[in-house]
Amino acid sequence: MIGFLIRRLLQAAIVVLIVTVIVFILLRSIPGNVAVAILGPSAYRNPATLAQFNAQYGFDKPWYSQYLLWLGHLLQGNLGFSWTLDQSVASLLGQRLPKTIILVGLSTLIALIIAVPIGVWQAVRRNKPVDYTFTGLSFLFYAAPTFFVGTVLILVFSVKLGWFGPEAPQGGIVSDFTDWRDLTLPVVTLALVTIALFSRYMRSSVLDNITEDYVRTARAKGASRRRVLWRHVMRNSLIPIATLLGLSIPGILSGALITESVFNYPGMGYLFYQSAQKQDYPTMLGFIIVVAIATVVGSLVADILYAVLDPRVRYA
Amino acid sequence: MGEFPSTRRRRRARGLFAAACGAAAIALTAAACSSGGSSNGGAAATPTGTPVTGGTATFALPPSTVPNYIFPFDSSTYFSVTNSEDFQYLLYRPLYWFGNGSSPTLNASLSVADPPVYSGNKVTITMKDWKWSNGTPVTAQNVLFWIHMMQAVASSDWGAFVPGGFPTNVSNVTATSATTLTMTMNKAYNETWFTSNELSQITPMPEAWDRTASGPSHCTTTVSDCAAVYSYLDGQSKQLSSWAGSPIWSIVDGPWRLSSFNSDGNSTFVPNKAYSGPVKAKLAQFQEVPFTTESAEYNVLQAKGTGGSQIDVGYLPTIDAPPTSSPMVAGHNPVSGYNLSPLYTWGINYFPLNYQSTTGNAGIVKQLYFRQALQYLMNQAAVIKGPLKGYGLPTVGPVGTLPLSGVSYLSPTGKQGDPWPYNPTKAKSLLTAHGWNVVPGGTTTCTHPGTAATDCGAGIKQGQALSFTLPYATGTTWIEQEMTQLQSNAAGAGIKLSLDPRPFNQVTALAAGNCVVAHISCNWDMGNWGGGWTFVPDYYPTGETLFLSGSGANSGGYTNAQNDSLINATLTSNSVQSLYNWQDYLAQQIPVIWQPNGVYQLTEVVDNLGGVTPQSTTLNINPENWFFTK
Repeated sequence: MIGFLIRRLLQAAIVVLIVTVIVFILLRSIPGNVAVAILGPSAYRNPATLAQFNAQYGFDKPWYSQYLLWLGHLLQGNLGFSWTLDQSVASLLGQRLPKTIILVGLSTLIALIIAVPIGVWQAVRRNKPVDYTFTGLSFLFYAAPTFFVGTVLILVFSVKLGWFGPEAPQGGIVSDFTDWRDLTLPVVTLALVTIALFSRYMRSSVLDNITEDYVRTARAKGASRRRVLWRHVMRNSLIPIATLLGLSIPGILSGALITESVFNYPGMGYLFYQSAQKQDYPTMLGFIIVVAIATVVGSLVADILYAVLDPRVRYA
Repeated sequence: MGEFPSTRRRRRARGLFAAACGAAAIALTAAACSSGGSSNGGAAATPTGTPVTGGTATFALPPSTVPNYIFPFDSSTYFSVTNSEDFQYLLYRPLYWFGNGSSPTLNASLSVADPPVYSGNKVTITMKDWKWSNGTPVTAQNVLFWIHMMQAVASSDWGAFVPGGFPTNVSNVTATSATTLTMTMNKAYNETWFTSNELSQITPMPEAWDRTASGPSHCTTTVSDCAAVYSYLDGQSKQLSSWAGSPIWSIVDGPWRLSSFNSDGNSTFVPNKAYSGPVKAKLAQFQEVPFTTESAEYNVLQAKGTGGSQIDVGYLPTIDAPPTSSPMVAGHNPVSGYNLSPLYTWGINYFPLNYQSTTGNAGIVKQLYFRQALQYLMNQAAVIKGPLKGYGLPTVGPVGTLPLSGVSYLSPTGKQGDPWPYNPTKAKSLLTAHGWNVVPGGTTTCTHPGTAATDCGAGIKQGQALSFTLPYATGTTWIEQEMTQLQSNAAGAGIKLSLDPRPFNQVTALAAGNCVVAHISCNWDMGNWGGGWTFVPDYYPTGETLFLSGSGANSGGYTNAQNDSLINATLTSNSVQSLYNWQDYLAQQIPVIWQPNGVYQLTEVVDNLGGVTPQSTTLNINPENWFFTK
């Protein structure tokens, strides 16, 4: 297992490095002029400032020189400085990441708690009204754009009924918990879509397992239907959910741009949008690093969860 | 000097997400709007209750913008409405305040100094008896501190710097006493221009700021010390989390001081008890809150305090604007409990043509008849009535048409309206009369090359087609619709415009600068970023920045000796007639294609808050004038 982990970590480092090269090249290929994007078109009043900006930040050098410069800073733990938000990228990530983890992490957790029983219930009651009802709802929420769901929730539960706030908590991390009424709608918005996804996987997985030989064997040996379902079928059916959860980790860290925008919640997704709009490359690269690491870690976590859930899986 | 409105991060913010989210919101809110709206059409009403002292007013910042620089010496990176007008000016007052009601003129009452007194090429500035919040007087030395800093670092670090402009056009500046500062210019300038466009840039800085990390410095007396002081203050300004408690930034001469700030953009101001100006704050607190999108702000506006979120001064997304028959009067307000008031900037809107184009079309662009024909095809009235829903003013030349009180910068000719009203027949006639075989909907070609009066003109070849690529910035709905309309109108007159929608940054990078001066690609014919130009902090609308030959912001590289001469006259003559002469001439020359100046913001003011209107077209806010009623 340790050997496997070391191999995977080495692979992960290479993957992250390759991702940074590709992203760096792609960012430098975007048409436009970074200096104008950052300084604003009025900087043309004094074109010398544009040249000065390019020299200061190395934009007058070839892309590979710029990349090596950036990589050198990164290896020293320096993610750079956001020109547009006037803060270090590390500081920005430090502010936005916890907010996003709370929003997306909480919604994923709630979705998991709700979706797993629903998926099992649907599988057990296959082709019954309960199954049709949840299937219909799943399709509805999975197909509905997040901004649409969020806006409907705001109009109904905030504007009309006044039960919850129309925007996410605006204070620090503490306020995310103390102002739970403000956090409710964005969490529910994300959770509804995620429940739809997870419950479909869970239903399908349980249906696959419920017809397996080991289920018949267990029943033949006298195990109760409930025991077979929750002790045997459940464990095997969770494997695809483990994959989904592992792959959700980058999503949890990279944020939910639309939901953050609709609910005025400055998280990671919105940070990326802002920086992309302004060609704020240091912030975009810092974000990409976080997401790339989260992706390889998520994949690793999913693999480890396989081993936990399925003893047949060996990593020797 | 001046400012692209989009640079001020206003219109651009109403981009992708405003469009996406707003589209849903407009459909979904239709029922709520129709049932809950009050009849608050027209200009913002004055509250009828009794004014009270105290209370907290909450102001919605423009979408996707937050203050990120407190030092009022903004480099280009930080030169924005959100930093200056919405934030720094509340704390640190400019030497001269511009904004008299809705007119962009000198407000002597709110200025830190008496109006300047000119004598030839000398100007004398006399300070009023104002004090900083630490009790020290606001002195001429504080002004000198600013000017010295400009002399040291303006060319690289002052966002409004123009080569040849302030302070390089000042040969000597001396503080003759604590209250008097004299300045000698390199020649005698138009007094209104020098006050409105040059002195308008100055913000006095307290003596306590004249320091570096190692202790007090001497920028006030020695220019060579200023770079280090700037570096120190710039560094302090980048420590956003320390602003509220900073011993540097807490010394203010404005009506407010900062009591809390977080880097998400949430700011709380409390009255500066030592403020020396004429109007003391009546509110107990003034808060600014950030928003990701217009739609997010609109949700909070509609929810009216649910969950603790309350906006007292916000804005209606332009996509939800109620139609109006008069640009200065709002239509039926869809939000109950608020008064709606349109806000226009003091500026003009246009898109440039590239006289230095390397596409082969520069010869065509240089022909006045062609520019006239294209301008005849820009149907400003239809754009204002349609896509802008009535919230727009036509641009008739290089001076804005916004109605002003007390002054008249727009010439009598300009006041007569659009000199080039939509007329496709005239457009076709102009082309036909100059040697073009006009094929409506097809390809118009030059059949009479040459330079005679009836020929196509210099630089145009036999068979050359009237075909152009027109990049324009996406994200502003009315600009997108205007471009489609222009394309259709142009096709009817045989001009082929291939529209090229691009992100705002790409269009400005391509078309907002003088490509020869800025050493960027000249491979474009025209480009529309949608925002034109706002005259802030160059409130006197002369043309040296936008239209003078060789200017960096002269986007298309327009050059015309008579125009240059008339511009130079506006800078030296004290008569407003020189401004009229220049604008009337340039309006006829059509150096750029004039397009409507759309509304900057539809401001929503909660109905128990007074003093917010009239709004300043210079985009300043004065919450010290605001008061709640009961």
